Amino acid sequence: MTIASNVKQTLASLKGAQATIETFASLEKNAENREVLDRSARQIAGVVTAMEKRTGFLEFAEPQYKGF
Amino acid sequence: MPVWFNILLRSAGLFVLLLFVTRLLGKRQTSRLTMFDVITAIVLGGTTVTISLNLVPNLAYGLIVLAVWTLFSLAVHFLSLKYKTMRDVVQGKETVLINHGKVLEDSLLGVRLTPEDLLSQLRKKNVFNIADVEFASLETDGEVSVLLKKDRAPATARIMGVACGQESVPQTVILDGIMMDEPLTAMGLNRGWLHTELEKAGVAPENVFIGQVDHAGQLYLDLFDDAVGVPGPKTKDLVFLTLKKCQADLELYALETRDPAARRMYGDSSAVLAQTVRELEPLLRR
Repeated sequence: MTIASNVKQTLASLKGAQATIETFASLEKNAENREVLDRSARQIAGVVTAMEKRTGFLEFAEPQYKGF
Repeated sequence: MPVWFNILLRSAGLFVLLLFVTRLLGKRQTSRLTMFDVITAIVLGGTTVTISLNLVPNLAYGLIVLAVWTLFSLAVHFLSLKYKTMRDVVQGKETVLINHGKVLEDSLLGVRLTPEDLLSQLRKKNVFNIADVEFASLETDGEVSVLLKKDRAPATARIMGVACGQESVPQTVILDGIMMDEPLTAMGLNRGWLHTELEKAGVAPENVFIGQVDHAGQLYLDLFDDAVGVPGPKTKDLVFLTLKKCQADLELYALETRDPAARRMYGDSSAVLAQTVRELEPLLRR
């Protein structure tokens, strides 16, 4: 396994977690809890964006492992 | 009219009448009976029996008794709802039996409770050691309520200093294999969602005895066939652990990379995720 594939795996897990937390937020009735869930989803989204930039760079460095 | 037919008619009529009378007297008759409520119930029952068995010479006399007791009972309840003094007279007040951890012998005597009675009532409340009790009182319905000393009471999340998310009540969406639309809409879900979830679990709807959705939209299923195992709801745990793993991964990448900008990015992201994990822990784990 290369660094790029590891990073991509983490990125995929993060995206999955973000989606699940967004689902929880949409079902949550309590305003305070929904606030926490929304904020968490936004924070994870920020991390995802930063990681995507990095995977772009890694793909450039290791073009043979370029994937989706 | 033969006697047996007369008795049959009276019994049937009184049965229906008493059904209405008990509805009229309300729920508190069964939930919290004071002595007065018990007496009213006995009088109503006794009168009904005597009328049914044709022991009263005139049917009207019996009905008068029933009407008076029902109306008076209603009036007393109504007045005690309105006036505090009336409540104190009719229902009585609770009696403090233990205060500041000391048994008040005089009040025990006053309500005619022996020490054995007190101990047995406390045991019923799962209190076996009288040293644990801070306060106990005898309620008007004869129950003893107990307040334990703070350091002997069961630990709550607040006492432990643990943050907890608020959970709303779970909704039962399948009962006896039948989907219930009202609870589903109360959760903001629909039958389509339920079908998807059941498909995910690999279960046919008519096979489900009880299905409950918790506040996070996780479905718990109990099947008719107890031999079939259904995995319990794991989504919350799974998300939490995924996030924790991602955070650990990022820390690892930060250590591995030689590019200083990338290291900073990984480090910052890991810190953000750590913060997120901390914030989500009360909601996802407790």
